[in-house]
Amino acid sequence: MAGARRRRDATPDAGERPLGVYGYFVHEALRRLWVYRRTSMVAVGMIAIALLTLGTFLLISGNLNRAVDRWQGRSQLSVFLDRDATPAQIAGVREFLTREPSLAKFEFVSREAAYEKFKRHFAQLAPVLAELEQNPFPPSFEVQVTSRDAASAPFTTLLARLRVVDGVDDVQLDWEWVARLRRIANVLSIVGLVAGGILAVAAAFTIANVIRLTMFLYREEIDIMRLVGAKETTIRGPFLLEGFFQGMCGGLLAVGMLYGIFRGARALATGPSSALLWDFLFSEFLPWPTSLALVAGGILAGLFGSWISLRESSEESAG
Amino acid sequence: MIDFYHVTKRFDRYSIALHDVTFHADKGEFVFLTGPSGAGKSTILKLILRQLLPSEGQIVVNGRNLATLKRAQLPLFRREIGMVFQDFKLIERMTIFENLSFVMTVLGVPPRDHKKKAYAVLRAVNLHHRLNAYPPQLSGGEQQRVAIARALINDPYLIIADEPTGNLDPDLSADVMQIFIEANLRGSTVLLATHDREMIRRTGRRVVHLEKGRVGEERPQQAPEVPDSPSTFMQWGSL
Repeated sequence: MAGARRRRDATPDAGERPLGVYGYFVHEALRRLWVYRRTSMVAVGMIAIALLTLGTFLLISGNLNRAVDRWQGRSQLSVFLDRDATPAQIAGVREFLTREPSLAKFEFVSREAAYEKFKRHFAQLAPVLAELEQNPFPPSFEVQVTSRDAASAPFTTLLARLRVVDGVDDVQLDWEWVARLRRIANVLSIVGLVAGGILAVAAAFTIANVIRLTMFLYREEIDIMRLVGAKETTIRGPFLLEGFFQGMCGGLLAVGMLYGIFRGARALATGPSSALLWDFLFSEFLPWPTSLALVAGGILAGLFGSWISLRESSEESAG
Repeated sequence: MIDFYHVTKRFDRYSIALHDVTFHADKGEFVFLTGPSGAGKSTILKLILRQLLPSEGQIVVNGRNLATLKRAQLPLFRREIGMVFQDFKLIERMTIFENLSFVMTVLGVPPRDHKKKAYAVLRAVNLHHRLNAYPPQLSGGEQQRVAIARALINDPYLIIADEPTGNLDPDLSADVMQIFIEANLRGSTVLLATHDREMIRRTGRRVVHLEKGRVGEERPQQAPEVPDSPSTFMQWGSL
């Protein structure tokens, strides 16, 4: 029984192919991961959960930021006119807009066009709309403004002047919403970094404990290595590499799971309103440098965990 | 080769393992370190390997003062010493060849030389036919011979052994002692800790006797019952 276990623990070709130091590092690290696979899976799982948390926040905030960028690039000013605005009043507003270079890109939306646009975007609400006796939408001008103009002080004065033009009922600038969304996206990024960071530190300590346990189980081999004159780097190499592999597996698992969630979320988007929300939050997957950074984060957490346990394992402290 | 100058080793206020120990072993000499359990034999071996540092006194091994040996120099220093333990300290999950190859790997011996060297040292201990066996498949004597082969693999100038025959019956002990004597005849200094008086008497080498952490009377070298020749040692072993 014991013999069978020993043979199972040893890799089949270990006796046939002598190894150099680096081959020994890789062989030993992989062998230990396999032999203590349950313990290793806990460490890998911890890393994956930490990075999945961070990755989810990054994914959502990234998509939010992208959406904000899109809107910010084409910030819109809506100039709503009185529902019964006369053609002369409409012409007066058009003339005002044409005179101002920052408002010169505009499109007139008649009451009928607004009605059709609403029906198109909110198809589910069409029955409600059909019950109305008259068209509730006012005519409007949709003005494209640049984010630079929208943020400037003279623009505020210009809007104040526009609000008092004859026939204008209300002026709405979506810039404030954009800024608010940007703040939310930034808060999400920070929350993700903090939560992911805390979990990553916890995962690193889990890896440290796993490595510590492995070192305890291998203490006799470590003693033999020290007594025959192995350098500390040779003794520590496989343990460091073990942490490296655990971190890398955790990172890859997190990215894989995140991609699964991303695909699942997109597949779940069925109705028009949920499609809008899902498209908003899950329009694109993480860019590959961010995905690589997540894997690298896992590797760093793994190495950090190994380093913590190895730091405590000098010959003096081992007795 | 080995010089202890007034060495004291204290583990704490009430536990003194060695007290003012002074002794010397020449290059190429075979010295027994003897005394009852707890006399300090293992502490001396650990001090020589610099697993421990003395509380007082100086230790010089092969011209190196161990107190001044830097931590980074320790691996290279130990590579020149072969260590043999009472409990063999073989890695059970590895074959005999792997046990030796593992040591060669950590010592930086090129992999292409592993088989050749392993075969050579195992041949010296007459176990070259058990390369692929696992330690538990071997008898105690065979395991100790593998442990000695491992100690010999780097051609050490000094072999230190801590009760190497402690777990063996008299016949197997004779086999193991033969290997130490052969290594000594090839030029290695041997320091062997044992309390097997019969073994010491038959081998007839110099004895450093420890008693409660102090060096007692050093007995002069007696005429061995066995000639200093490997070929005749086997005959002695079968007596």
